[in-house]
Amino acid sequence: MNFIFRMAARELRASWRRLLFFFLCVAIGVGGIVALRSLVQNVRTALAGEARSMTGADVYVRSEQPWEEAVRARIEARADAIPGTARTETVDTVTLARLPAGTSERTKVVEVRGVEDPFPFYGRFSLGSGNPYSPDLLRDGGVVVGRELLPQLDVDVGDAILIGDRTFTIRDTIIAEPGRQLGGFSFGPRVLIHLDALEASGLLGFASRAERQILIRVPEPAIAPLVETLRADLEEAFVRIGSYRRTENRIERNFTRAENYLSLIGFVVVILGGIGVWSVTRVFVQQRLRSAAILKCLGASHGQVLAVYVVQVALLGLGGALLGVGLAQAALWSVPESLTAQAAVITGSEALSTGLTPSAVAQGIGVGIIVSLLFALVPLLDTRHAKPLLLLRPGTTPRVAVSDPVRLGAIATAGIGLVLVAAWQAASLEVGAWVACGFLAVTAALHGIGRGLIRAVRPLEASRWFPLRHAARSLRRPGNQTRVVLLAVGLGSFFIIGINAVQTNLLTAFSLELRDDMPDMFLIDVQEDQAAGVSQLLEAAPLGPDGTDPAPALLPVLRARVTAVTGPETRIEGRDAIRRAGLGREYTVTYRAEMAENERVVAGSFWDAATPADPDGRLEVSVEDSVIERGVRLGDTIHFDLLGRPIEARVTSVREVDWDDSRAGGFIFVFRPGAFANAPHAYVAFLRGPAEAEARGALQRELASLYPNVSVIDGLEILRTFRRVLDYVTLAITVVGGIALFAGVLILIGSVAMTRFQRLYDAAVFRTLGANTRALTTMYVLEYGVLGLLAGLVGSAGAIGLTWILTRQVLDVVWTPTPVINVIGLLLTAAAVLVVGVSASTGVLRQKPLLTLRAE
Amino acid sequence: MSRPMIELRGVSKTVQSGDRPLTILHPIDLEVPAGQLLSVVGPSGSGKSTLLGLAAGLDTPSTGEIAIDGTTITSLDEDRLARFRGARIGFVFQFFHLLPSLSALENVMVPLEIAGVREPVEKGRLLLEEVGLTQRGHHYPSQLSGGEQQRVAIARALANDPPILLADEPTGNLDSTNGRHVIDLLVRVNRTRGTTILLVTHDRELAAHADVVLAMRDGRTTRVDTETTAAAAVAGA
Repeated sequence: MNFIFRMAARELRASWRRLLFFFLCVAIGVGGIVALRSLVQNVRTALAGEARSMTGADVYVRSEQPWEEAVRARIEARADAIPGTARTETVDTVTLARLPAGTSERTKVVEVRGVEDPFPFYGRFSLGSGNPYSPDLLRDGGVVVGRELLPQLDVDVGDAILIGDRTFTIRDTIIAEPGRQLGGFSFGPRVLIHLDALEASGLLGFASRAERQILIRVPEPAIAPLVETLRADLEEAFVRIGSYRRTENRIERNFTRAENYLSLIGFVVVILGGIGVWSVTRVFVQQRLRSAAILKCLGASHGQVLAVYVVQVALLGLGGALLGVGLAQAALWSVPESLTAQAAVITGSEALSTGLTPSAVAQGIGVGIIVSLLFALVPLLDTRHAKPLLLLRPGTTPRVAVSDPVRLGAIATAGIGLVLVAAWQAASLEVGAWVACGFLAVTAALHGIGRGLIRAVRPLEASRWFPLRHAARSLRRPGNQTRVVLLAVGLGSFFIIGINAVQTNLLTAFSLELRDDMPDMFLIDVQEDQAAGVSQLLEAAPLGPDGTDPAPALLPVLRARVTAVTGPETRIEGRDAIRRAGLGREYTVTYRAEMAENERVVAGSFWDAATPADPDGRLEVSVEDSVIERGVRLGDTIHFDLLGRPIEARVTSVREVDWDDSRAGGFIFVFRPGAFANAPHAYVAFLRGPAEAEARGALQRELASLYPNVSVIDGLEILRTFRRVLDYVTLAITVVGGIALFAGVLILIGSVAMTRFQRLYDAAVFRTLGANTRALTTMYVLEYGVLGLLAGLVGSAGAIGLTWILTRQVLDVVWTPTPVINVIGLLLTAAAVLVVGVSASTGVLRQKPLLTLRAE
Repeated sequence: MSRPMIELRGVSKTVQSGDRPLTILHPIDLEVPAGQLLSVVGPSGSGKSTLLGLAAGLDTPSTGEIAIDGTTITSLDEDRLARFRGARIGFVFQFFHLLPSLSALENVMVPLEIAGVREPVEKGRLLLEEVGLTQRGHHYPSQLSGGEQQRVAIARALANDPPILLADEPTGNLDSTNGRHVIDLLVRVNRTRGTTILLVTHDRELAAHADVVLAMRDGRTTRVDTETTAAAAVAGA
């Protein structure tokens, strides 16, 4: 044992420089795992125990409609029956914040939350002034706003803003608040307002979009029973009931998932590093065969010799892993403070640690060493073939049987080991197996392409031009690194080219959806008495790109829920059954006499003036074809709850809606006009807003000041948000691809360095035989140029496949070829390989040939 | 006569050359008594290195049996053989075969460490002293001359005090001055330690020091010269 460790340490002392990039291969992957895991764990720690504060209560009941008195009474009765409970209500809605007339024309979409005194039960506000939050801040027209709103509206604490049709004074700013869901989509900054003031602001008109919550604080043991009782009581009411534990579980689940998926990204990089490890170990072992033979000659057994090298690899793996931990810490420390502060605000926590967590470090180091060993195992087994006889007959190379059972066993062990490590990192055997197999498939495909390409350049070996002939030959020389470099560099460029191409495809697809004739502005919640005024306003506005669009028709909408579906062969009744059928949400429905441009009937027939109405006075409804997939049949009767009124309608036609063409909007349920004429309803409009930013802003402002309850959704803003998110995702994946490419370049440098001795000898012989520096340089340029082009081709070809599969099969958008990206990617890859390869080889040219030949 | 240190009985070696078997060593019987210095001479390809490899257990014979110091090595498996070699046989090669990443002293210490000897450093120093390289212990092979490297190799071969030393062209890669140093060293080892030495060589001067010279050609023994005639035989070869 002693001998093994001493021997390993001595050999390392001499060879670690040559194996430097072995460290780097391991280090980059381990660094990725440790940094990503630590980051997620830190966020999780910051949020630990915050689930109550994120919910703001123990139990919540949510509704999207105003509380029915019976429902509210039932909730109150149930809650008050438990001693020690407290209740409070909140209402959330989205509106436009404006400034008082005559000050500024700026506006901003905000998320208004109306609260009353005991809010919040849990968690605490962190205010810009540093003062503790007090409900008094909201008395007498006070509001507290998200601090990002101040610069957006160019206002300060103490200034006035308009919410709805009332003026409020900003009393303080919010840095972190309880009761805000993590990671949820946000329309804009928070505005906290007193519930009574919100009710009086005119924002909560009929059918307006608002979420109402009753928050309850109860003693811990009563939480579960209360939730159960309320669920049973309110089964038929359209409310959602839950406890903070649900939030807690969801957060826990999301974080575990995020952590594991992010770690898998690191793991893929580790595997790339593993390929590097494999290639270095292979060359390293070849150079060490003689040493192994000497050791055997001096009495060491196979096992001892193998152990000497296994210990070396483990130590190198450990060294690389530690370096990786260092890199991870450096990476986390270099995260700008502004970013962690922002993250702290988003997560509602005080501060975010940028330290490494022990479990992440332990896992990273474990993975680093295991992957090093797994990838080194097969090449290390070659030391078995180091026969001492080699020392008597130099130049004899041991023959390795392809079907050597020990070798095959080792390959199987390494494969299974990798799947297990992937499964460990993803915390799921299935995901682990998928990742490992996916990686294997991509690797095999790239490997296959690489082999084909190597074969394709074989005719160059017959070239009459000396440098070209030899450049082509060295791609196939014994112990060449061609396939390894192709794989590693190809994989890196595959990632980068692929991801950029996918991004381009996505953006193309979305800008297609935002064609010029598509609406880019949506008006929602226009009340009946506002319809005429809104129409007038729209008629006066310069709509469309050239300002000549006619004002759009206001479409009448009602909000409805499905309560039952009955028919000869259909029976979906009760809230649970409806939910299971996927019909449980609240639908926005409309009525009209004709079909819209983007619809066509696929079954039954759409009503027209000629078809008589149902003699029994039953309503007719036309459904979108997705409803049929949920178990509803043509001819069935659907029972609706229309703002408390029960309504039955017979399905007389099924429509297919082209959702990409949303000029007329799209509705799942369209009713035959007639019966709703007297029912209270709201209007929506789809239009192309003014192209000029100023006119656009003016229209939005005017709508907000005249009709504060009307929500104006700007499609352009959504597109901008989408672009931003996509940019982040692309950046993240490009970084991963960059790391992969970096690992590939390292492997390239390593393999050039490892074959340096072979090249020194070759160069010396060529020189002695009369080749000059220029010929040799040309040879290297050609060799690496060809290798780089091949690697680029491998990556580009793979990327085209990836893009095609992702766009067509996963994202379901049109595939557009991206020749520019592919060609640029190819050329950059080729250039990188050329520069690295040639500059690593030129050292060879400076050696005097005699010195090299003598040394041999 | 005491028990032979090296004993070959009907040992031959046949390899497959293309699709035809090629006999590189025809059946040979050989006994080397303890303390003898036997040198094998002959042109390239005469089978002398094969003979050495077989005697060391580095290669397996096609027929016959080999016994070293009473142990039949042909029946040992690879790992037992390795242990046996570590304890009983020292090797010296034409190309020295020092471990390049280890210093001279460490090279000498390796067999001691493999054998699990305590205080390998002390013993290693003594061995280096024996070959006259006390001052060069911390140097790496690349920093030593060929002659010095070979002396380190001899010190390493003697580390576990083996009864047998096998040498393959030990002076083949050295100039005459360094070669003479190595010859003197080997002869001294043979005389003072009583180590049985089997050496393969082209070097007439070295062969002249042998007790017995075995001449080979085409895988057969052509002549065996005993002590008295050895010098003359080499001179006339």
